[in-house]
Amino acid sequence: MAAHDSGYSIDLSFPGDLGYIPPVRKFVSEMLQANNFSPKFAYRSEIIVDEICNNAVAFGCKAIDATVALQFKVHSDRIELVVKDQGGSKEDRERLKELVGGKKVNQKGKEPKRTKLGLEIVKMLSESIDLEIDDNNLTSVRVTRKRDDMEVVENKE
Amino acid sequence: MVSATIENSRTEHSTALTIVHIQGELDSSCMEKIHALCDEILAKHAPFVIAEMGGVALFSSSALGGFMGSRKRLVESGGDLVLAGLSLEIKSKLNLLGANKIFRIYSDVRSAINAYDWEYKGKAETVNLSFPSELKFVPPVRQLVSRIAQQKGYSNRDSFRIETIVDEVCNNAVEHGMQGSDRNIDITVKIDRQKIEIQVVNISNPEKIRTLREMVKPDTNLAEAAATAGKRGRGLALIKMLSNKMNIDFSGNGTSVHITRFRGD
Repeated sequence: MAAHDSGYSIDLSFPGDLGYIPPVRKFVSEMLQANNFSPKFAYRSEIIVDEICNNAVAFGCKAIDATVALQFKVHSDRIELVVKDQGGSKEDRERLKELVGGKKVNQKGKEPKRTKLGLEIVKMLSESIDLEIDDNNLTSVRVTRKRDDMEVVENKE
Repeated sequence: MVSATIENSRTEHSTALTIVHIQGELDSSCMEKIHALCDEILAKHAPFVIAEMGGVALFSSSALGGFMGSRKRLVESGGDLVLAGLSLEIKSKLNLLGANKIFRIYSDVRSAINAYDWEYKGKAETVNLSFPSELKFVPPVRQLVSRIAQQKGYSNRDSFRIETIVDEVCNNAVEHGMQGSDRNIDITVKIDRQKIEIQVVNISNPEKIRTLREMVKPDTNLAEAAATAGKRGRGLALIKMLSNKMNIDFSGNGTSVHITRFRGD
């Protein structure tokens, strides 16, 4: 990693198809390990990517040719993941806002337990999770994960 | 009791595709209805059927038998019957009955349509990636492309050869291009049932590009050049051996390498 922590950015876009998620999450994990992040950190980041991308495909890809965009920025002390999709229905967007914001979800609604569990896992593994929906319904979920393996890396050196 | 509507929502795209929305409880009383639906679909000459079943609460083994019979009729007419949108509970029960060995099951109608387009309409899917120009990132990049090819049904061998192409092209892009975490290499992968196209673009290093230009002159025999040049040039020769088409464009500030490889399996 460069001495000045400007970090670097990797941008990836792929079709909104669940079959692409395993290769994509493994790619993120391997890119992190190539940059000296520990296997444990890389695997937990992989879990985050898996959960957010699954949600993006399941709820944010309605058009036949829908795509998902993943950007991850790597700094010396943290990573930032941003996953963008074209946005789901109004109901899906409201539900996502509630889940990310941590507000109580109306259990009478159609919220699958899996989605709630997925975002809870992401929250547990990250420092912050933010949601942005623009006027065109483009939905961005941003996750920041602080590096917690520096001590291990330093000890190894 | 079952209610079913037939909706052919793909007339602008494919008149051979029918989407059937089914809800309720599918049991032995549905057999006649299922058979009649099949007759209607075959009469419309739209034998590729996606059965959207998100609203199905029960799917008995006798109804499954009816579906299997209908699928057989559709396949004999050159079509197919796939299931989409099943609840987890119904899907698990059908898998226990072995239905997943006969029917393709998709999470939703959109996935089923994409699969139809992929298989029967020659639809290509595209992945775009931009990564820093550093050699350490090439292994994850090549493995990503290889895994995508495998996921799309390419054989292990084919996928490995694709991985080799990506490895060589990306290594060249790093070695002959401007390096650093602020210099990105852009790779586009376009894949369909019959071929994969890989385009890699970098920012050229003026000091190193001359060598590459010499090696890819039209009258250069890459294999001979590799044999006489020692270690240099083997990568390009290897790429050419493994691909069906290779174009290199040096216009502008960047170098663009475009590879086409037809599916070998």
